[in-house]
Amino acid sequence: MPTPLKEGAAALEALGGTRGEFLDMISVTLPKAALIDGLKALREAGLEMLTDIHGMDYLTYPGHHGKRFAVIYNVHDVAATSRLFVRVELDDGESLPTSTGLWPGAAFLERETFDMIGVEFDGHPDLRKILTPEDLDGHPHRKDFPLGETPTLFNEGRFLDPATFRAGLTGRDEGLTGWKGGTRHGTVATQPTLIDPMMARSLKREAERQEGEGEE
Amino acid sequence: MSSRLPPAPTRADDRIPRLGDFETRHMRINVGPQHPSTHGVLRLVVDLDGERIVRLKPYVGYLHTGFEKTMENRTYQQGITYSNRMDYVNGFGHDLAYILAVEKLIGARVPERAQRVRVILTELNRIASHLVFFGTTLLDMGALTPFFYTMRERETLQDIFEAVTGVRMNYGYYRAGGLYRDVPDGFDQAVRAFGASFPRYLEQYDTLFMENDILIARTKGVAVLSRQQAIDYCLTGPSMRASGVALDFRKAQPYSGYEDYDFDVPVFEQGDIFARLMVRRVEMAESLRIVEQALDRLEPGPIIDPDRRVSLPPRRELETSMEAVIFHFKLVTEGFHPPRGEVYVPTESARGELGYYLVSDGGSMPYRVKVRAPSLANLQSLEVSSLGGLFADMVINIASFDPVLGDVDK
Repeated sequence: MPTPLKEGAAALEALGGTRGEFLDMISVTLPKAALIDGLKALREAGLEMLTDIHGMDYLTYPGHHGKRFAVIYNVHDVAATSRLFVRVELDDGESLPTSTGLWPGAAFLERETFDMIGVEFDGHPDLRKILTPEDLDGHPHRKDFPLGETPTLFNEGRFLDPATFRAGLTGRDEGLTGWKGGTRHGTVATQPTLIDPMMARSLKREAERQEGEGEE
Repeated sequence: MSSRLPPAPTRADDRIPRLGDFETRHMRINVGPQHPSTHGVLRLVVDLDGERIVRLKPYVGYLHTGFEKTMENRTYQQGITYSNRMDYVNGFGHDLAYILAVEKLIGARVPERAQRVRVILTELNRIASHLVFFGTTLLDMGALTPFFYTMRERETLQDIFEAVTGVRMNYGYYRAGGLYRDVPDGFDQAVRAFGASFPRYLEQYDTLFMENDILIARTKGVAVLSRQQAIDYCLTGPSMRASGVALDFRKAQPYSGYEDYDFDVPVFEQGDIFARLMVRRVEMAESLRIVEQALDRLEPGPIIDPDRRVSLPPRRELETSMEAVIFHFKLVTEGFHPPRGEVYVPTESARGELGYYLVSDGGSMPYRVKVRAPSLANLQSLEVSSLGGLFADMVINIASFDPVLGDVDK
């Protein structure tokens, strides 16, 4: 009996897809050029619900020799008896065609993939970051995005430095309150060079006041 | 001479403005992110033509906490601390989705008692979540009283959750292979007492709001989402079933023994706000049916997979068995190492399809965690369902999709 899953998988294999299986999950790896045709074929085969689009970064995956990124489309039919994972493999800097023409709802899912992994979708109506702050550099789910000891960046180049934050907790150092300024490029933080102008003015005023008291 | 003058105005050509001559310019209004009607920190930019919405854009991400990335740097067992913090209204649902994916990866065998307790707690949590939904939705409609009624019932449930897990929120009660501890004495009676009183409260709700003329006038035929739109906009859960798509993963792909229970999946065709309310109203009664059936079949027995590679050995064994100490040490310091592979288990959360896509590289921490959270995808349909509607209806429309912003932003 032809099920949507069998039909869909056969259509994808006809487009040059290679089938993989783990436990009861069936995935088909498609060449990039055949992605939209493949998804269209799946919709016609009855797998008409798109659950999710997400990206994977295989940079540090042991024994991985293929392309660095994979984008996975999670598609199923209305009865949810068949589910198929469509995978497309990509290198850094490669982009994918958008699937918003097939599912308008793919817009948010593609934006999330772009935000987290940095894969761009050509033809997307509104490809912006969705979850991370506008002034955050980089894509957090890339495996080379540092974790933990990363200065947290805020507007106008201000950031919290973890070492200083901890020092401030001991009460011996001035900690965060005296820490303003500094810049960051991508994942590299430069040492802060100056305290921000307002703070500098108030410090200067304070110093002058103390000098004046000393003279008396 | 007269040819050099402009023609004298005639009566017919008088530029007395008529109704059709007025033009309103579109006005752009910002809603939120800090606004009580957005159920969290959701920002909407709305273009209005008079009172009618011509364009709506949701902006999310204000609650982004990086849970996925954090979970990738903790062991599988520690991940349970984070999963329930995403959807804080339906914590058991997220816990279950995460733990099912982990169990599929390691092949744990969950004892029957643990399955039943999980079903009871998850369904009670679904009721609690829908109660919050009703309270807040009607609050947005200007009805303050229902909020107190629904919170009263939710309080009973919260007391049960507190007795079972020790906390009222962020439960973290499930473990790979079973449960963290058995349910306390009196659990059965407490749930049965709730089950005995709740149908009466549901009837009260029906008379109070589902049959209320004001509510019907404000919700019927408002913000309609067709079946095709629901599919195109990747909608899932109760909101999708209100648009005529009969899909419930508890029926379609049963997990945790849902195939044993007799329950119906409410489906409505109208796709308006009233249908979205009704689906959840009926679901509460159906969830209660599942809870009572599970309670009837709750037999004493083990609550966790006895496989030492998965679960901690019992305390008393640690005093007599060196092996138990070794297993205990390995599990606590390092955790288990699942085989390489990628798994996804879809579950039906109170908001829609919820699943964790876990990728294992053979280590003791997941290589990649991707949460398919229902609220993010559901939120997009606001863009179409609100179009052409009144600004005042938009607020109820947001509420009718029941977004939890922790679930949206992860």
